[in-house]
Amino acid sequence: MSASIAVSASNIRHHYADFQALDDISFAVERGQTMALLGHNGAGKSTLIKILLGLIKPSEGRVNVLGKDLSSLRNRADLKMGYLPENVSFYDKLTGKEILNYFAALKGIGKVRVEQLLQEFGLEYAQDRTLKTYSKGMKQRLGFAQAILSRPELLLLDEPTVGLDPVASKFLYSKIDELKQQGCGVIVCTHELSLIENNIDMALILAKGKALAAGSLSDLRAASGLKTRLTSPQLLEAIALQPQLTSMLCDDALLLDKQQKSAVVKLLTNQCQLFDFSLKEPALAEIYHFYMGQCAQVVEVS
Amino acid sequence: MLMSPVCVIAKKEIQDSLRNRWVLFISLIFLILSLSVTFAGSAVAGHLSLPELNALISSLSTISVFIIPLAAMLASYDAFVGEDESGTLLLLLSYPISRTQILMGKLVGHSLIMSATISFAFGVTLVLLLLLGDNYQPQLLLVQFGQFIFSSILLAIAFILLGYIVSLKSSEKAKAVASVLLVWFMFVLIYDLLLLTILVADLSFFNQYIINALIALNPTDLYRAINLIGMETGNGSLALFASSAWGLSALYGIMLLWLVILVVITGQMFKRRSL
Repeated sequence: MSASIAVSASNIRHHYADFQALDDISFAVERGQTMALLGHNGAGKSTLIKILLGLIKPSEGRVNVLGKDLSSLRNRADLKMGYLPENVSFYDKLTGKEILNYFAALKGIGKVRVEQLLQEFGLEYAQDRTLKTYSKGMKQRLGFAQAILSRPELLLLDEPTVGLDPVASKFLYSKIDELKQQGCGVIVCTHELSLIENNIDMALILAKGKALAAGSLSDLRAASGLKTRLTSPQLLEAIALQPQLTSMLCDDALLLDKQQKSAVVKLLTNQCQLFDFSLKEPALAEIYHFYMGQCAQVVEVS
Repeated sequence: MLMSPVCVIAKKEIQDSLRNRWVLFISLIFLILSLSVTFAGSAVAGHLSLPELNALISSLSTISVFIIPLAAMLASYDAFVGEDESGTLLLLLSYPISRTQILMGKLVGHSLIMSATISFAFGVTLVLLLLLGDNYQPQLLLVQFGQFIFSSILLAIAFILLGYIVSLKSSEKAKAVASVLLVWFMFVLIYDLLLLTILVADLSFFNQYIINALIALNPTDLYRAINLIGMETGNGSLALFASSAWGLSALYGIMLLWLVILVVITGQMFKRRSL
C-alpha cells in the first residue's frame, strides 16, 4: 500500500439482513486530494462513511485508512481522522468553548489548540455564549473546528455546507483547501454539486449501493460522453456560412465531443471570423444526472 | 492534565444538568417534600409535632419511592436516544473511546447528580432535625438518615439504568418519555400494589419465600424493605415489609446485584444498538 494513499477501499460489500447496502465498491483517495461522495438518498453513502470510520465492519472487502488495515486495527486512537456528521446538533446549553473543550478532552488534546481553532474560525467573540444563540453558519464552523481538532490526515465531512449562505460555504471550502495543501485526504459527502465542483479532485457516484462512476471530473466527462456546449450570439450566421455545423446544433448551442472541439473552434475562428463564443464543459450536476438517468433506465428494463 | 474519557463525559453530563437547572429543580422538589413530611406531616393528625424517627423514615421512604425513580429516569431517558437524534452519538462513537467508557461516563455523571440532590435535600432535613429535634438521639438519627440517603442513591442509580434501557430501546425521544412513564407506572405503582395485595390477602400458597422473592424482584420494594426492616410500623401493610425475612445486608446485596445486572444489560444493549 502506497504511503501517499489516505484511504482505500477494495470490493466493499455490506448488507443489512437481506438488504444490500453496498455492492462491490472500490476507490482510493490520496493524501492532499478531495473526493466527492455523491448519490441519491439511500444510495449507501452513510454506510460507506460508517465503514471508513470503523463503526461498522463491511460484510466483505478491505478498507485501508492511513496505511492501516481497519479490520486488524486495535486502537483507533492511532488514526488521525476527523469527522463532521450531517446535521449534527451539539449541546445547546453548553458554550462553544465548552463544546470544543469537551471533544478535545476526549481526544486528549489541550486547551491551547481549542483557543487557536476558535480564533481561526472566527468564533472567539462568541466562545462564551451558549450554542442555542449561534447561527447555522457558526454551528457549522464549530462542527468543522471539532473535526480538525487532532490535525487529521483524513477528514470525512457529511453535508458540511447544507443550509449555509454562499460566504459561509466558501469559507469552509477554503479551510478544506488549506487542509489539502497540508496533505490531508478529504471525503465530502454532499448533494450540493455546483458548490463542490471546483473543490474536488475526484468523485464517486453511488446509486442503490453500486458505484456508477468514479474518477476525476475530466475522466467522468469523458466516460459519460456528455458534450461541450459552444454558444455565441453570431452562431446562426456562422452555421449559414458552414452548413456542416447544422448536425451539431441543439437548441441555441453546438454540442461538441472531445474530438470535434478543437476542429470546430479552429473552423469558427479561421473561416467564420467568430471570436465571441463561449465553451461550457459538462458540469458535475449534468454528469450526476446522466449517471442517475442511466441507472433508472437499467432498473426500469430489469 | 489528561482526564480519562469516563471523567470527561461525566463532567459534561453534570455541566449540562447544572446549566439546564435540572439539579436545582430536583433538589428543591426533594427538599420541599422532605421538609413538608418532616415538619408538617403531623398536621393531618390535627397537631404540629416532630414525628418519631421510625415513623419519619417510613413516611420519607414512602414518598421517596414514588419521586426518586421518576426523577432518575427523567434525568437519564434521553442519554442515548437524545444524542442519537442530535447526531452526537455517532460522532462520539467515531472518537477513540469505547462504548463502555461512554456508558460509564454517563452513569457516573447522572449518579453524581442524583446523589447530590438526594444528599442535599435529606441532608438539610437531617441538620435541621439535629438542631431542632430534642427528642432524637443524634447518633441514631445520623445512622438512620445515612442509611436512608444511601439506599435512596442506590434506588436512583437503579432507575437511571432503567432509563438508559428505555433510551437504548427507543427510536425517538417522544417514545422514550412515554416508555419511561410506563416503566415507572409498572415498577412503582402496579407491582407494588399487587405485592401489597398479596401480602395483605395472606394467600395460603404464597409462603414467605415467594414473598421475599417478589420483594427482591423490584428495586422499589427492596428500597422499602431496607428502610422499614426491623421497625415497629404498626399494623399497616408496610409492617409486612418490615417483617421481611431478608437481613439488611442481604437486601443491600440484592440491590447491588440489581445494579450489576442492569449495567450488564445496558452495556449489551448499547453494543448491539444499530447506528
